[in-house]
Amino acid sequence: MNQTRATRLGLMLLQLLLATVVLLPFFWMISVSLKPPTEPFAIPARLWPDDPTIGNYITAFRPEFRTYFLNSLVVSLSTVAITVSLGLFAAYSFTRGQLAAISALIGLVVLAQMFPHSAIIIPIYKMMRGANLLNTYWSLILAYVSVTLPVAIWMLRGFLLKLPAALEESAAVDGATPMRVFWDIVVPLSRPGLIATSVYVLIVTWQEFLFALSFTSTKEMRTLPVGLNDFIGQYGIRYGELMASSVMVSLPVMAVFFFLQRYFVAGITAGAVKG
Amino acid sequence: MRQDRRLYWLLLAPALLLMAVMLYYPMVGTVYESFHETSFLNPDPKFAGLALYRRVLADGTFAEVLVNSIVWTLGVVLLQNVFGFLAALLLNQNLPMQGALRAIVLLPFILPGVVAAILWRFMYDPQLGLVNSLLLSAGLIENSVAWLADSRMAMASVIVAAVWKGFPFSMLIYLAALQNVDRSQIEAAMLDGAGPVRRLLDVTLPAIRDVIVVNIVLTLILTFNYFDIIWVLTKGGPQSATHIFPTKIFETGFGQFRFGEAATYGVFSILVLSVLVALYAIVQGGASRRRAAA
Repeated sequence: MNQTRATRLGLMLLQLLLATVVLLPFFWMISVSLKPPTEPFAIPARLWPDDPTIGNYITAFRPEFRTYFLNSLVVSLSTVAITVSLGLFAAYSFTRGQLAAISALIGLVVLAQMFPHSAIIIPIYKMMRGANLLNTYWSLILAYVSVTLPVAIWMLRGFLLKLPAALEESAAVDGATPMRVFWDIVVPLSRPGLIATSVYVLIVTWQEFLFALSFTSTKEMRTLPVGLNDFIGQYGIRYGELMASSVMVSLPVMAVFFFLQRYFVAGITAGAVKG
Repeated sequence: MRQDRRLYWLLLAPALLLMAVMLYYPMVGTVYESFHETSFLNPDPKFAGLALYRRVLADGTFAEVLVNSIVWTLGVVLLQNVFGFLAALLLNQNLPMQGALRAIVLLPFILPGVVAAILWRFMYDPQLGLVNSLLLSAGLIENSVAWLADSRMAMASVIVAAVWKGFPFSMLIYLAALQNVDRSQIEAAMLDGAGPVRRLLDVTLPAIRDVIVVNIVLTLILTFNYFDIIWVLTKGGPQSATHIFPTKIFETGFGQFRFGEAATYGVFSILVLSVLVALYAIVQGGASRRRAAA
């Protein structure tokens, strides 16, 4: 591309503007989380505290926060494990099974991705109440697995369709059963797809708010998003602590994302771009 | 072979069963609930015919929720796709630091929705918020604005917060599409003397048309159903100025325990979403036919 120097400079300035718009709220969140409670808010706002401290983080990491954190961890990791396993089983059958009515079933999977959670939540709530599962991990895990499964199947199906068939075919010729082919060939080869799908499911469940708000009723069972929302009222405008909690809630998913970004980006875009 | 087939069905069964019980049954269940009345005092559902539909339609907030949902959805979808596309163009240039910038731009997308909402609630705080502070220093406003408490500003404010959180997702998909565009076509257009704008309109946009359609439908559905941002920022207020279907359903169902009416709102929300998607499909289909005819 033969861009002139002026064009390049202009484009780089626009990039700087884009980065600023994205980063300014983050920068401010971190700045306020490091502000000592004694330092007053000023107009115009000071962008960085004079005397940064991690005091807010220590205060915010109270026992209830640790409970919410543990709950989020249990629910999210269980959901990732179950969704990705069931999703891979289903995707394998969809792509290799040559079953009857397969395209109709795939259509139902795609349609289910679009169901508004708020529109189906009342019957799900009643089922959970009937099964005595309200305010348990299981109510959340079951709901999260169900709502993430259609997208997970879709993403994994995309990956399996791109796997070269030759390896599986030669294994089958050698007499391997479909189950052996699945464990020895398909699972190892799908690793990038499994990672991408796991990251997607983790991001979705770590932040899920509507089901958690509706299905949990005691502090012992709250997850981080609901707990964080509760903090707003409890702490009035103690924004330092609120921002410190927010940073701590965000860090785990951010860290996972940064290490596995490559896989995730490929997985998310594959479905939409290749169709 | 028959045994193989049984194995494939067995592998498929848990996923299908779960989706049937937890997604398709509740979809039907919502319609059932919308014909049955329950309340906090009378939790046993009683058949009510169309009474709940009449009640919801007669309630003044229904029209407001409908209009708000449409304004919110169209506003977020339009801005998110425009900014997402422009950001993707910017990240598809041959400039230094593209990888780092892409990672930075994706940050709001990974940020949990409730965190993003709390952050923006704080940004919009009339006294302590950065938005007022910056606008006052720049002389763009003379007095602090109560962004979320003023019913004329609240909807625009929640839309801005949602676009900030959502445009990276659209950017990501547009960027992948742009990187797939055939370079030779662009180079051919350059040899013909087409400037950057002509190349964009004549080569790039037609090449990624399908991705634009997918992106718009996807963001339309996600935005219409998005609960977190509005609930944390305004709870649908002030009055009902930012109430959309998901927040109204949650408030009616779990705030007032009127499951029947909440389900009725749910049925309406599915209808409205279907109409929006269908309208877009018709407009899109018409545009394609005109192009084909031209």
